[in-house]
Amino acid sequence: MDSSIASYVLQYSGYLIEGGLLLYLGWTKQWKKQRGIIFYLTALLVAELGRTYALYKYGLHSLQYFYVYWSTDFPLVLSAFLLVWLFFRRACCQEEKMWRSIRLILAFAFLLVAGISAATLSRNQNSLFSFFTVEFSQNLYFTCLVLNTLLYILLQQIQSTDEQLGLLVCGVGVQFAGPAAALALDYLTRGEQFAQSLAASIIRLCTLGMLLVWGYAITHVKASKVNQNPVLAEVTID
Amino acid sequence: MLVAVLILILSTALFFFYFQVACQRILSRQFDREYFQSIANANRLEFPSLRKSLEEFGAPLDYSRLRMMLKCDFLALTYLLKNAANVNQRYSHEERLLILYFRWQFLSLALRRLLRLGENKAILKLTAVLQYFANVVGQRVNAVKFGNLTAADYLLNL
Repeated sequence: MDSSIASYVLQYSGYLIEGGLLLYLGWTKQWKKQRGIIFYLTALLVAELGRTYALYKYGLHSLQYFYVYWSTDFPLVLSAFLLVWLFFRRACCQEEKMWRSIRLILAFAFLLVAGISAATLSRNQNSLFSFFTVEFSQNLYFTCLVLNTLLYILLQQIQSTDEQLGLLVCGVGVQFAGPAAALALDYLTRGEQFAQSLAASIIRLCTLGMLLVWGYAITHVKASKVNQNPVLAEVTID
Repeated sequence: MLVAVLILILSTALFFFYFQVACQRILSRQFDREYFQSIANANRLEFPSLRKSLEEFGAPLDYSRLRMMLKCDFLALTYLLKNAANVNQRYSHEERLLILYFRWQFLSLALRRLLRLGENKAILKLTAVLQYFANVVGQRVNAVKFGNLTAADYLLNL
């Protein structure tokens, strides 16, 4: 009983913060500047509302809920990838040369994951919505996590003055690392009840953690317009 | 199977890393002046002296007393955060996150003690959180005005 109440609290606080952040971004007219965040938050909210509707209509153990859950997970991970892409773009807004190389690496990483996933799909056609979907989501989450970590390292390397982006990246790291670990645990335990409920709680907690960090970053930290980096500027000129 | 184990280990490590970095970035916020000292004096909080003794002499007090001091300061400051000059009477986003961070560091302090890894680093992190909370409380109290007086002037005139 207590755990289900805690789960509801986590779930609904997540919705409230997501909606609140979207309203705040709209209110302060940051639609264009924070388009990555708005896109991801909208995807998250739509996916979660769809899941909640399916949960109430069909029940937790129904096949319909299972399909809705994993079907919404795929676009959600894709939007996560797009978010990381847009963060990379923001980090390299003053470095067109660097952005051209990074864009190629990102495209290659996406194709690689798609290729590996397609190979796994061809071997698991009969169990598309069972272990495969968990593994597929886990791989994509992990790829986004690795890319996000590379972005974090890049920000340190170029000594970025965009404090807000640094915090947003940390929030994304929390959001991706938790679910990747939880889904890996779920996969390793072959869908044990304990691991599944733990994964569900961790995913909600991490989303809430990301929203809290983002909330702070958006409301308290100003995004820098110009990336003042004399060291990198010199390197680029050379 | 091996890939899943690797993902589990790396993701868990990265989760804690990002959580820590996010909290450290929030803690690095610069206040227009240091409010924490007056709040600590007014409420007889012990974390500034604890931090000073640790930075100057490198050796903390006995462990049970230290835990008690940190816990009491934490309880006092979280109460003040929620109730002192706070119209909404609730924690903000970053305060909730830092409360979680404090609890995690508190647990890590116990673990470090158990494994004999040296507690100083964890204690300094805990006092940094308390200092941030005291600064936030101080800033809020300073902003509240009673007529033409600030809260501090008002208290002095009583």
